[in-house]
Amino acid sequence: MKKIRTPYLIVMFLILYLPILYLVFYSFNAGTTMKGFAGFSFKHYGELWQDTRLIDIVFETGIVALLSSLLATIIGTLGALAIFRVHRGAVKGALLSLNNVLLVSPDVIIGAAFLILFTTFKFSLGFVTVLLAHVAFSIPIVVLMVLPRLQEMNPDLVLAAQDLGARPTQVLGQVTIPAITPGIVAGFFMALTYSLDDFAVTFFVTGNGFSTLAVEIYSRARQGVSLEINALSALIFLFSLVIAVAYYFINRLNQRQKAPELREKVK
Amino acid sequence: MVEKMPILEFSKVALSFGDTEVLKEIDLVLESGKFYTLLGPSGSGKSTILKLISGQLQADAGKIFFEGQVINDVPAEKRRVNTVFQNYSLFPNMNVFDNVAFGPRLKKMSEKDIQDKVKEMLGLVKLSGFERREISELSGGQQQRVAIARALANDPEVLLLDEPLSALDYKLRKELQQELRNIQKRLGITFVFVTHDQEEALAMSDWIFVMHDGLIQQNGTPEDIYDEPINHFVADFIGETNIVPGIMKHDYLVHFVGKDFENVDAGMRPNERVEVVLRPEDLDLTDPANGKLVVTIQDQLFRGDYYEITAVDDDMNTWQVQATNPATVGARVGLTFDPEDIHIMRYNESEAAFDARLESYEDEEAEAALQAAKDDQSQSGGQG
Repeated sequence: MKKIRTPYLIVMFLILYLPILYLVFYSFNAGTTMKGFAGFSFKHYGELWQDTRLIDIVFETGIVALLSSLLATIIGTLGALAIFRVHRGAVKGALLSLNNVLLVSPDVIIGAAFLILFTTFKFSLGFVTVLLAHVAFSIPIVVLMVLPRLQEMNPDLVLAAQDLGARPTQVLGQVTIPAITPGIVAGFFMALTYSLDDFAVTFFVTGNGFSTLAVEIYSRARQGVSLEINALSALIFLFSLVIAVAYYFINRLNQRQKAPELREKVK
Repeated sequence: MVEKMPILEFSKVALSFGDTEVLKEIDLVLESGKFYTLLGPSGSGKSTILKLISGQLQADAGKIFFEGQVINDVPAEKRRVNTVFQNYSLFPNMNVFDNVAFGPRLKKMSEKDIQDKVKEMLGLVKLSGFERREISELSGGQQQRVAIARALANDPEVLLLDEPLSALDYKLRKELQQELRNIQKRLGITFVFVTHDQEEALAMSDWIFVMHDGLIQQNGTPEDIYDEPINHFVADFIGETNIVPGIMKHDYLVHFVGKDFENVDAGMRPNERVEVVLRPEDLDLTDPANGKLVVTIQDQLFRGDYYEITAVDDDMNTWQVQATNPATVGARVGLTFDPEDIHIMRYNESEAAFDARLESYEDEEAEAALQAAKDDQSQSGGQG
């Protein structure tokens, strides 16, 4: 098995990363198409820098992602706390299922549903509608990340805090929230990536010139992808890589705090 | 003299979870400054009593008094009791100092007072200098010490301890038993300790409540409970025991395993069917001719400070004997014991009736002893 495992993993990751690397490679092409490499050049990065519309969209995408995941984290965490406190098993199960249905239902349906909702109530499509839609589809993700943390938490911690004289809000702020913080952080980052990634829902509910990166790249790609998009993709890929590496180190730090024996060994 | 008001009192307290009666009409009185133990197997309702005192649970019926005031409706955070939990339940996001300071901070004590309080409490549990340690860096025993310090930092009138030592190894448990006892004596507050370990209960307590099936089976000093168990359950639960059926022919004469024996119990109907208790350490091995019973040694275990011998008599009753010297497996030996080693238990006797009966004939005995002493004195006086 071991003989097969290593080559298997190498081939698997190569296939997964090849398209992206191909894209990144051509971002340095001196030519204007992906048909043949005409020489190394940064000119597409230069074009990107000049393209203020695209840069604006990058920022707007980021703002929508940050705001929506922040709001979703707050609402979702409170929701998880509420579901956790439901004592009747059947009700709890039903609530969880309702939550999960939203996670698995196709984006197209959610997008269409929001479009109908917003037009019914005469919302003008744009930043606000995109933000609201992103908050809505991110909440179930946060609930799903936070709830297991609550279930893992030693319930006696709450009793201990009450026993020492803490009122419910003090228990929540000083004991419960710190105990589930890793879940909240994970939920926030999951919501962030879902929002950054989203195409289908945004495509339905955007308008008035407001656009996110996914929608913009899609509309540009219909006229043939310019290598400027390659350059942008390369930058975003680099950014993701940095985030992933940072996440790995943060995780390792947390693990070490949990297991000091491990830290002793590392020393 | 004014009688001291009990710090805690249960009057006909009952609690059910659905169809399960967890507590059935519990009455108990706790005096201030004593070490009480609730002893019983799991599911006996002992932890439930603790939760009723702390306010985690509400009684279905009955009243709970704290210093004479009914506290049934007082929320947990307003009661002057604190709990040490079985699994320590320290706040993992705080270090030792912040854990102990949790209660004082909620009370809005000044930072200087909090510092002093934490220092004092950590000193009490012998963890001075551990303030900056993270909880995850502590051993189980140290964590339990922090938990004790954290609960005591709130200056409770009553400290509740819910099987606090059961997760620790034997040696550490012994050590902490001693320390808990010392802390209780030093602070002079009331401890209510829950355990299923009878040895622990006997070693630490001023007063023990033996619980079974949601009822207090017996309460008394460790000596009372060990020497004079009220029923089969208590006798069996507290220590090793030999229990055989018998007949109380009349006061001070009991019949079991086919023979009559003199004993020191009284106050029963003539020829009443009873249970006879003989503790393994009260039985001595001798040669068959001198034995009150003749048994065959079946098995023997070395326990370090004694041999645990299992023997069978001719009626196939099993007898546990603790002996300092080894015996030979298969040998026929005699068993001897003194009349005062025999303890008699009536079937279905209530605790009140049991206490009253014991008192009645113990008084008689005391009077008899007094009379005998007087006679003795007058005799010797006459001779002199």
